[in-house]
Amino acid sequence: MTAVREAVALPMMFLTVVATAAIRPGANGSIVPPSLASLVGSVALLALLVRSGTVAPAQLVNQRRSMLANLNGLSVLLTMFFASAQLLTALVPESGVPALVAWCVLVSLVMQAFAIAPDRTRLLRGLLVMFGAAFALKFIVLAAISAPAESRITRALQVLFEGITLGAVTQRATHPLEGYFAFGAGALYLIAIWLLPPASWRMIRVSQIELPASSVEVTRES
Amino acid sequence: MRERLIRVTGVFIVVVYGGLIGWLFASQPKTIAEAVGAVAAGVGAYAIDAQAFADGLAFFRRDQFVEARAAFARADPATRDARTQFYVAYSYYRQGWHRTHHDDELYRRGLEAVQHAIDLAPGGRLRVEDDNLQMHSADELKAELEAGVTTDASDFNPLRVFENRK
Repeated sequence: MTAVREAVALPMMFLTVVATAAIRPGANGSIVPPSLASLVGSVALLALLVRSGTVAPAQLVNQRRSMLANLNGLSVLLTMFFASAQLLTALVPESGVPALVAWCVLVSLVMQAFAIAPDRTRLLRGLLVMFGAAFALKFIVLAAISAPAESRITRALQVLFEGITLGAVTQRATHPLEGYFAFGAGALYLIAIWLLPPASWRMIRVSQIELPASSVEVTRES
Repeated sequence: MRERLIRVTGVFIVVVYGGLIGWLFASQPKTIAEAVGAVAAGVGAYAIDAQAFADGLAFFRRDQFVEARAAFARADPATRDARTQFYVAYSYYRQGWHRTHHDDELYRRGLEAVQHAIDLAPGGRLRVEDDNLQMHSADELKAELEAGVTTDASDFNPLRVFENRK
């Protein structure tokens, strides 16, 4: 990995993810820090990235490198941690039943990933699907339900829906820009993860190993 | 040598960019104007629009409080000027004051504005010399607004109808 990528590009990309995913535009705009739950989720996500070989922390921080290089490596890991937490905060619904369901599904998916032990490529595909599904749920489905009604019939249906669900599904109405910010942050995060230095080892299936015929014979005899 | 320069630049960028994001989390600006104004105030380069402030003051003295706040918002878009925020708070007080009752909602907004003004003032001490006002310090105004939103025995004193607006 080049010095430019490690020292400048990756930390900037991760910090941009933090900044973009934190913005909640609108009349009462705010900058939302990562939630405590997402910090815990980020730890699990990082463990998963290391275990799958997507990122090799030993290549970023080790005794053979200079202090300055280690500082750059550490900044990559730290900014990646905060970017993961911020992205989770941005993509998971904020309140009610959807938040509970989303967190349950997210935890299940992460635990499943630990059990399956995917390699780098499969984990990246998995993250793409997971973040894509969370984005669609929050910024397309729930946003459509929670958006201010334009006609009386729509408003009546919304009131009826809120009554049936006791208001546990409806979310804060999001500003149209918020979805674009979250989409951009998610895409940038995945690109940055893909640019991380992978582990030098690679998980492959035993059935894909081409063993020499003699070794197969030896195995059979033993 | 070139690699070392790149790595030092990287550390510098992370510190500055990360610090900026941390500052945004802490200061919570609501608009880009507020964010830019806060940065400008941090380096001592922020100044209010004097003409808009004068307009706001003129509206304030004619008891046109909504118009006054609009002008003050134009004068201090980043809400970084303690004196302007003091007048904004005072406008909420005067608009919410009635001989028989007080408008709690306006008083609460006034409390937020005066607290913000106190936070902006050096050392938290803010005094405005204006003959049109009867309360010259932010502390007096804050106490008056706080008294207005709390309910106690004095609220039921019939003699309070003889009190005057400050």
